[in-house]
Amino acid sequence: MSKVVGIDLGTTNSLVAYVKDGVPVVIRDESGDGLVPSVVSIGEEGTIFVGREAQRRLLTAPASTVYSVKRFMGRGIEDVHEDASLLPFSVGGDPGGVVRIGIAGREFTPPEISAFVLRELKHRAEDHFREQGEFDFEVDRAVITVPAYFNDAQRTATRDAGRLAGLEVLRIINEPTAASLAYGLDKRNRGTIAVYDLGGGTFDISILKVEDGVFQVLATNGDTHLGGDDIDAVLTQLVLAEIQGGPQGSPLRDRRGGSSDPPELIQAIRKAVIQAKVDLSEAEDTEIRVESTAGLPVGYRRRITRADLERMILPLIERTLGPCRQALADAGLQPKDIDEAVLVGGSTRIPLVRRLVHELFGRTPHSELNPDEVVALGAALQADILVSGRREMLLLDVTPLSLGIETMGGVMSKIILRNSTIPASGREMFTSFAENQTAVDVHVLQGERELAADCRSLARFKLHGIPPMPAGMPRIEVRFQIDANGILSVSARELRTSIEQTIDVKPSYGLTDQEVERMLIESFEHAEADFEARLLIEARNEAETVIHATEKSLRRPDFDTLAAEALEPGERQRIEAALAGAKQSIGGADRDLIQQKTEALNQATRHLAEVVMNRSVREALTGKNVEDV
Amino acid sequence: MLECRNCGAGAPVDEHFCPQCDRILALGRYGDYFSFVGLPRRLGLDQQDLERRFRDLSRKFHPDYFYNASPAERLASLERSSYLNDAYRTIRNPAARIEHLLAIEGLPPAKSDEGGVKVPPALLEEVFALNEELDEIRELRESGGDEAQLRARLELARRPIDRKREEHERRIQELSDRWDSNAGATAGERRATLEALREQLLEQKYIDNLLAAIEREAAGSGLSAPGSGQPGAESLEPKAQGHP
Repeated sequence: MSKVVGIDLGTTNSLVAYVKDGVPVVIRDESGDGLVPSVVSIGEEGTIFVGREAQRRLLTAPASTVYSVKRFMGRGIEDVHEDASLLPFSVGGDPGGVVRIGIAGREFTPPEISAFVLRELKHRAEDHFREQGEFDFEVDRAVITVPAYFNDAQRTATRDAGRLAGLEVLRIINEPTAASLAYGLDKRNRGTIAVYDLGGGTFDISILKVEDGVFQVLATNGDTHLGGDDIDAVLTQLVLAEIQGGPQGSPLRDRRGGSSDPPELIQAIRKAVIQAKVDLSEAEDTEIRVESTAGLPVGYRRRITRADLERMILPLIERTLGPCRQALADAGLQPKDIDEAVLVGGSTRIPLVRRLVHELFGRTPHSELNPDEVVALGAALQADILVSGRREMLLLDVTPLSLGIETMGGVMSKIILRNSTIPASGREMFTSFAENQTAVDVHVLQGERELAADCRSLARFKLHGIPPMPAGMPRIEVRFQIDANGILSVSARELRTSIEQTIDVKPSYGLTDQEVERMLIESFEHAEADFEARLLIEARNEAETVIHATEKSLRRPDFDTLAAEALEPGERQRIEAALAGAKQSIGGADRDLIQQKTEALNQATRHLAEVVMNRSVREALTGKNVEDV
Repeated sequence: MLECRNCGAGAPVDEHFCPQCDRILALGRYGDYFSFVGLPRRLGLDQQDLERRFRDLSRKFHPDYFYNASPAERLASLERSSYLNDAYRTIRNPAARIEHLLAIEGLPPAKSDEGGVKVPPALLEEVFALNEELDEIRELRESGGDEAQLRARLELARRPIDRKREEHERRIQELSDRWDSNAGATAGERRATLEALREQLLEQKYIDNLLAAIEREAAGSGLSAPGSGQPGAESLEPKAQGHP
């Protein structure tokens, strides 16, 4: 049986975990590292680097390296201008459409970039299962987590990424809920829990009631644009301003895109401030140290205290409190009603965050489980529940945002209210305005605001095939179904005739099924191309090693004597011909030819290698006693 | 009567699983949330009992447990779960519970905006007084009136409405009790109880709209909403939704 895993697809880092003998475990590399940085880089040969390697390339090849792509999932270019201005890679796309990221002369959508990260996690898991001696080590199914406050487009984009990575996405679950599942294992199986999840790019608060192994979310809220990235940006901003001697605190985004700064410099600063931020969770003061790089000939150093940091980030952290209060209000609870508060996400290591959460809920928050890993562990548990049919635990999550449609006058009419337990369904009746009208336009929205223009546009569709009738006669029931992934589907029926309507849903900020299909095919082709590229590089490396060794022998000062004493007539010429052939072959891209010429050179130099080796041995022994040997 | 799509056996409409082959049944045109969760049509409710039923049924229907089932069973699981969630949300909320009872007992549901359009006769006096007062407060604010004074006047204006609200709560409770104990009542008496409930509910909605108007007035002046359990929560909401 192939394997299932749970994946935390994070803004900064991603992880993969699975359930082994009933216990969830994170899959680590040889050095024990469970985190795969959510960074993707494309090399000159078209080789794709993911994770630590890609992260290293942030400093050397920033323009072809993408990070924090989660912030772009399910969004349009008009949503992400601010972020894009800070990033060294190019972010484009048509207004009202999907964001497109240009690196290394190719264009990718955010789900495609995320798919590279997912594929890396899949390979990591498969390597692990292979090493464990599993017969069927293939990983083809996964539960993937998303921020609870992700809207429909963002969830769908995540599911598309999974498909593109060759994974059947068993379920999309919410990160705070996944975390509660991992915490729920200790059988303190009762009470009201607040999960505070501040990650690299997103913030979530979920209020849950746990009873009899049922984890019921009462309310959730959050900000899909608030996390450690914002803290890094504030610090980067400070350093950049100081380096340039400009006025401190002027927003970077106002500097016309920031593209005037070398990307190498931005990345060097970013790396330095992240290190300082991490240091300050332990130490009271530290130093921001940027090595010299493009645009910074002498390097930069600056002392920073925890108090400095807290002063700068307090406004950011305080932005989490509004959603917390709203979630409590929606759940009909007061802070004192919360039995346990749980911390999730790397940014909750910051002492200021812990202090504010403590103050809000009036109790010390839990952080026994590694806040970086707890979400992946929960995802693994959910995956196990799905395939095993175990019923001890059940997650009942909610939809974070109200769902509705645009009605006359551009008003949002809500059909499914926020914090409704999912799966959830709702219906709305439509009719025609004109005689014999056969189609109606429907605009689906998500959000809490009164006006359609202030809500998120999810999709537009046309109800076709309405039987011709006088105006106002048709009774078309449109049914909205939110499934257990929090993803919407729509169906419609004319009640008088019971005719099912056809619906072409055009997602506002998503990929159509056809686009995903096409990308799947392209990604297979590219995967093959990527594989070919890697083999070619390996063949070249091999050839270069042999060429290098041969040239070294030919350049020996004693080569002429050696040749005269030991080589056959014409042997030297044969070697030189093979060498020239090999050298010529590596200039091309014909892997077979390179391997063939390399092999020929190996054959031609076999005798020479023996002669050289014998001579070396003899030299080494010369002047030594037998006893010394 | 439902028909099992798996084995073809018939099943009573209240059943969730086929009595013969045990497979989950497709959801028919179902209307009664009470019987769906196994409760009688009563307005008095044991909250804990409802929650236990909700959890138990969730454990039976949830799509998590039908991952490997046939497409028909998966659809049935999705539909029954969605329906259960609806039923739970409706029955849990006192006003929604009454509205649902009215609907399944054949009284057309009170439309959500109906209570906001026509002033119920029983409330004419209060509404008239309140509107006058709100007008004056608005004028005062425009001419830069004292914040503390405005707040005090709003509080004062709110009191008679709050009293009406409490009165209605009591009345609805009485009517609900009467409905629950009307085993021996005639059809006409039962109908009268329901109609009285419907009227009270409409009036209550109107009162709630008035209270919301007062809260808006307070929020508009930058004062915290009077009597709001979550001061500050309102003003923070737009931030929480800054990036929907």
